[in-house]
Amino acid sequence: MTEIKNAHFTTLKGAYDTEKMEATLRVRRYDPETKKSRFDNFTVTIPVTASVLDALDAIKDTHDGTLSYRKSCRMAVCGSCGMRVDGGAALACKTPMKKFVDAGHTITVSPMGNLPVIKDLVVDMAPFWQKIRAVKPYLDTRDVDVPEKEWRVEPAASDQIHKESLCILCGCCVSECNSMESDPEFLGPAALAKAYRFVGDARDQDTRERLRDLNGAHGIWDCTRCYFCNQRCPKHVDPRDAIAKLGAESFKEGFTRDEGAKHAKVFVDSTYKGGYLRETELVPKTIGPVNAIKDMPFALQLARAGKVPNPLSPHKAKDNDEVKRLWKLLEKEAKGQPRRANAKHPDAVQGD
Amino acid sequence: MNCNGTEFANRDACHVLAGIRHHTYSAYTRGIAVHCFRRFLVIRHDVIVLGAGLAGMRAAIEAKRAGVDVAVISKLHPTRSHSGAAEGGINAALGNATEDSPATHAFDTVKGSDYLGDQDAIEIFAQEAPGDIYELEHMGAIFTRAADGKLAQRPFGAAGAPRTIYSADITGHVLIHVLYEQLVKHEIKVYEEFFATQVVVDGGQCAGVIAWDTQRGGLHAIQANHVILATGGVGRMYYGTTNAFACTGDGMSLAWNAGVPLKDMEFLQFHPTTLKSNGVLITEGCRGEGGYLRNKDGDRFMVADAPNAMELASRDVVSRAEWKEIADGRGVDGCVMLDLTHLGWKKLQSRLPGSRELAMDYAGVDPIEQPIPVRPGAHYMMGGVDCDVWGETIVPGLWAAGEVSCVSIHGANRLGGNSLMETVVFGRRAGQAAAERVKEQGDTGARIEASVLADEDRRIAAIVGNSEGERPGVLREELAKTMYDKAGVYRTEEALTECKEKVVELRERAKTLKIDDHGSIFNTDLTSAIELNSLLECADCLVTSALARKESRGAHSRLDHTERDDDHWLKHTLNWNDNGEVRLDYKPVTITKHQPLARSY
Repeated sequence: MTEIKNAHFTTLKGAYDTEKMEATLRVRRYDPETKKSRFDNFTVTIPVTASVLDALDAIKDTHDGTLSYRKSCRMAVCGSCGMRVDGGAALACKTPMKKFVDAGHTITVSPMGNLPVIKDLVVDMAPFWQKIRAVKPYLDTRDVDVPEKEWRVEPAASDQIHKESLCILCGCCVSECNSMESDPEFLGPAALAKAYRFVGDARDQDTRERLRDLNGAHGIWDCTRCYFCNQRCPKHVDPRDAIAKLGAESFKEGFTRDEGAKHAKVFVDSTYKGGYLRETELVPKTIGPVNAIKDMPFALQLARAGKVPNPLSPHKAKDNDEVKRLWKLLEKEAKGQPRRANAKHPDAVQGD
Repeated sequence: MNCNGTEFANRDACHVLAGIRHHTYSAYTRGIAVHCFRRFLVIRHDVIVLGAGLAGMRAAIEAKRAGVDVAVISKLHPTRSHSGAAEGGINAALGNATEDSPATHAFDTVKGSDYLGDQDAIEIFAQEAPGDIYELEHMGAIFTRAADGKLAQRPFGAAGAPRTIYSADITGHVLIHVLYEQLVKHEIKVYEEFFATQVVVDGGQCAGVIAWDTQRGGLHAIQANHVILATGGVGRMYYGTTNAFACTGDGMSLAWNAGVPLKDMEFLQFHPTTLKSNGVLITEGCRGEGGYLRNKDGDRFMVADAPNAMELASRDVVSRAEWKEIADGRGVDGCVMLDLTHLGWKKLQSRLPGSRELAMDYAGVDPIEQPIPVRPGAHYMMGGVDCDVWGETIVPGLWAAGEVSCVSIHGANRLGGNSLMETVVFGRRAGQAAAERVKEQGDTGARIEASVLADEDRRIAAIVGNSEGERPGVLREELAKTMYDKAGVYRTEEALTECKEKVVELRERAKTLKIDDHGSIFNTDLTSAIELNSLLECADCLVTSALARKESRGAHSRLDHTERDDDHWLKHTLNWNDNGEVRLDYKPVTITKHQPLARSY
């Protein structure tokens, strides 16, 4: 038999060589059959490049096969492995272990919040998907004739929904949502970002109806603007920004009757007029004079605690003209931005 | 209805219930009977789609539009499917960037396949691709646009024109979400986190699927005369792989055990640019946008093997060139360098932001400043379930589409951007064909018998009840290293023989596994045991086919048979299941216009 040329090509030497480290994790466990929860500590040997997910795999393969968690792509695109690391939601596959090991810190891994736990780190995502479905999550081009080829959309118009299109529906934002904690029916950051993905889409013809629905109960104005969703989103979707954009679009379409919308409007008007937020006006203008009177005992309580500013403070800031100049600058900038371009607008897109 | 969630502790009692003493409650909704055997839920649909990636969802949408009752079964939520990880793009000859035609697309694909692709199927594929792209766009896909508002197209490996439509470097993500949106719009029933354990054939006809409900526990017979397999690939049998943990060849194993042969399993594509740490893919788009591959001396080594196409030669060619550099000591820590530094911040940030983030997260380098260390990793199974141009297998009623199938479009080597397109074209065709068959035939009478369900339950119970042996994860890693070392980019008789012996040994050792979790709710110990079995069966098919094919063609490169041998090997390999052993057989390749030529780039 003739000698094989380059026989050393078959196996790459050192293909698995990696530096290893020892890591300890504290993992929240929940057994659905006994309905009991506890914390377990595990110490595992993992490569220095390992993620929290790799560490969980090491636990499962070498210590305890009963540990349950979701995983699939391990590259931060499938959205399966959302869980809390030291109390805040993150993708386990996108969280490197090395920094914790170097700091000598034992991380605590627990299931995401605002969703019922099924087992260990696995949560029931059904309420999450229900909210996604509630925002009519598909393009609606209505009765507009579909072009033979593609819709023509300018790159700038397409960029309007770029951030929202990055969402992988992992639920990390929902896990940390403060509003949802007090109102479980609040649509929440993920569903609202999804909603803006369509409201901002040049091809969608359902903008007005979408915005009307989003202005209803448990809608966009129930967000408390804590920005936890922006902070926790592993894909830089910035759901709170999407909610703000939905608010702005709602104003343009004339949906200003929700208390949340009125509240936002007082901020805008008051600062424009006087350079100050006149808090005395805030409550009556938001919830109406009758309700404001009803809330007087509460207001007095606040006043006694020193939490009501002096209603007689100056009504105009000294350099109010500067505020107005700033205002005009912002307005000009907003006009310069590419507008939502669809068939309802003059810069309409059409197919070939 | 108390049909779910009975614990495994009562499994003996359950066997009795399943087989003999079952209580039947039935509810009739829209003509569909829902029987409830206490613990076993028996459901009926016209068409079942197994897997909810691009091919599966596209098939389901088409069947639903045709008006039949269709449901999807998936071990993951649809948007978790691995189609979502595809980065670079999807090929169709739109001619938006430069002149292009389906005929050129077809020729590039035939040549790329090293003439092993079936040319009738490739013609259909290239012809129907543009229509499917426009449809995806109308569904709402957010593709990257050119300045004129049309869909932008970028160059990809071994393509005669810029043909790849894309969405920055997250094309798969955008598509998986747009099809999921359509799934919601069409109100298609999804059995989420249901793990299929058996495709049942009754009297030579497809009868449905038996599936384990991961979330609640319980084994269910889901009756359907038509089952479309769309379960994706099998990359997890390799150590260095771009594939998700979920890509374990489940559908291939299900079909193989249902008596359908697997075709061309020796052709496993290695992607040239994957990260060493965890195999994560860095898109071919990086080279499409002008990236260079360099060895440790900084030389662009592709000049030796593909002086014209350079880094944009087809994937098998680039992977071999890289592997050679590393094996000959011209690599850096077992990798070569993907250099994007000359592209500039702006281009990287607008066209390849995802790749930049992946490199920073998993390789610790910012490609704006430093080259990314990459090496070839197992990426795509060109082979799969043998089926025709409508996706139908030899078992009437059993269909396949996407990576699980082998139509064959890709032959011995797939071109980048063709797999996403295949999922959509052939997913649609399978959905359409299955729906038409339902309308023509009505009920074929094939059924999953209670005894079959009871047998399957005993099998699953035996796996869950086992606590002697090795853990599934440990055996999987041993398999993955064996495959990467002995059946990688370059192969020899000697290495493949060792590989085969090892795979046979592992299959034996996997008969008893150490299962810690004996519960029924979210028992991922159980599912990984079943997945390991699928991987081992597919690995056995791969290595057996590779040992037999004494030539080098496309992704199958033998150091002891370095030339392509059209006289003896211009044929498809078939792997039959012969009582658990692999039996080889062959069938001819369909050639229409393009006679085999020497392939160079």
